[in-house]
Amino acid sequence: MRLYLELARRAFQQTLTYRGAALAGIFTNGIFGIMIASVFLAFYQSHGSGDAVQGWTRDQTITLVWINQSLLMTVYLWGWWEVTRNIQSGAIVTELLKPYDYFTYWLSRDFGRALAHFLVRGVPTFLIGAIVFDILAPESWLRAASFLLSVAMAVIVSFCLRFMANLAGFWVLDYRGIAAMFAAIMNVLSGMLAPLAFLPDPLRIVANALPFRAVIMTPNEVYLGQVPIWEGLGFQMLWIVILIVSARLLMATGERRLVVQGG
Amino acid sequence: MGNIADIRSDIGIALRIAALRLRGQMQYRSSFLMQIFGNFIVNFAEIIVLWSLFQNFEDLGGWTLEEVIFLHGLSMVMFSLGDTVANGVQTVPELIRDGNFDRTLVRPMSSYIQAMVNEVSLRHFGLLGQGLLLLGIGMATVSTEWTVAKLLYMTVVIVSGLALFAALFTIEAILSFWTVNSIEAVNAFTYGGSDLGQYPLHIFRQGMRFLFLWVIPVGFMTYYPSLYFLDKPDPLGLPAFAPFVAPVAAVIFCFVVGKGWTFAIRHYRSTGS
Repeated sequence: MRLYLELARRAFQQTLTYRGAALAGIFTNGIFGIMIASVFLAFYQSHGSGDAVQGWTRDQTITLVWINQSLLMTVYLWGWWEVTRNIQSGAIVTELLKPYDYFTYWLSRDFGRALAHFLVRGVPTFLIGAIVFDILAPESWLRAASFLLSVAMAVIVSFCLRFMANLAGFWVLDYRGIAAMFAAIMNVLSGMLAPLAFLPDPLRIVANALPFRAVIMTPNEVYLGQVPIWEGLGFQMLWIVILIVSARLLMATGERRLVVQGG
Repeated sequence: MGNIADIRSDIGIALRIAALRLRGQMQYRSSFLMQIFGNFIVNFAEIIVLWSLFQNFEDLGGWTLEEVIFLHGLSMVMFSLGDTVANGVQTVPELIRDGNFDRTLVRPMSSYIQAMVNEVSLRHFGLLGQGLLLLGIGMATVSTEWTVAKLLYMTVVIVSGLALFAALFTIEAILSFWTVNSIEAVNAFTYGGSDLGQYPLHIFRQGMRFLFLWVIPVGFMTYYPSLYFLDKPDPLGLPAFAPFVAPVAAVIFCFVVGKGWTFAIRHYRSTGS
């Protein structure tokens, strides 16, 4: 356990080192946040009254836009292909020999990284949104605390999904196509681009049941009071259990294949 | 430099290098196709979401889905072409970091052209294909009379937009002469500019409109020409010739960026390692 805490701490510090990059990133997230929020404001304006659309009021949607921009880096929505690169370079062979659990090793590091990104990228981006737009505060302290817990769980779900996508490297040599597909699926099914409630019916029902929702949508729903707290956190917990088991099974299958390949 | 014959031979050599790089890439056919496909699918997902939004809301700042799709197509075509042309320029930060940029300075050829052909990639053709598709769908479905004059001017506008986006990617390269870590901020103008160009400019707040019209003239490449193409009114109240300044704005912007590049080269100090 101490080893994994140390790994998380190192990854945390490593992420904090790049201050210039963090500032540049906050600026970029800020500009994109303002743009996307403006598009939604214009959509709601065409709607005329301040009524909710598919259960989402204007202010709720704007708040979601800023939560999404703030969580983007914390949950590392699009990119992280270190395991794939390890598989391709063959470095994974020596890493598997080391006296730690490979999955937990990366999970600890990712958690440290996520905490750093939450503090240096997430919080400032959210503040920009709160200054420039009308953003809703959580209803209660309990909701706020649950939101933080939900974000932590979103990081684990996101990590499992990314880890499994990385393991595709055991089977395919070129991961760029998979990377692009992964990004596209994440963008739509997590609720990054728009609340899932806005999707057309069959797609919406499917998206609401899939684990991608737990990465972006669930923290939003917990924050905004769209679902009971226990329901949101329970949904995430369920997927964490399923995904950790699947990721380990997939890893074991991939490892066997690696041994065959390596001769 | 400066001699017309020199520049012509430079371009000839550059084209030959570009052709070689492309041939090298084509050797990995499945990888190449996979990248184009991936490039296509990412933006396709965004279009699905855009379409869903129009199912829930009536219009976007007075623009219909068809008109917004046209604008998306126009912006995507410009961006993907500019990105393709400036592909090598985007490797300048890497060249500087590894100390490889020095080599381009001692060769008897413009270092900008050398950077340009350092990497030639057609991976953005996925986006180009999608942009053309959306542009076509938009043109076919909007209720507008298409004239020869409009089509000719659209070609001019696309070339101007290409130059603008290539110049924006060059700014990234210019900044990397001083800082490597902070260039992510330029993404707000390249990718951000392309995204912003996909929506009617008047829905944005004044600060954003000013930035993307008068500092980085994306609005003059996508929004204003589209007012002319689609016969839309201008709620921002610029003079009637505003849809036609795209080429002028592009030339001015490229000129300023070109000066910046020359300045950066003159002040370049190698990493020394």
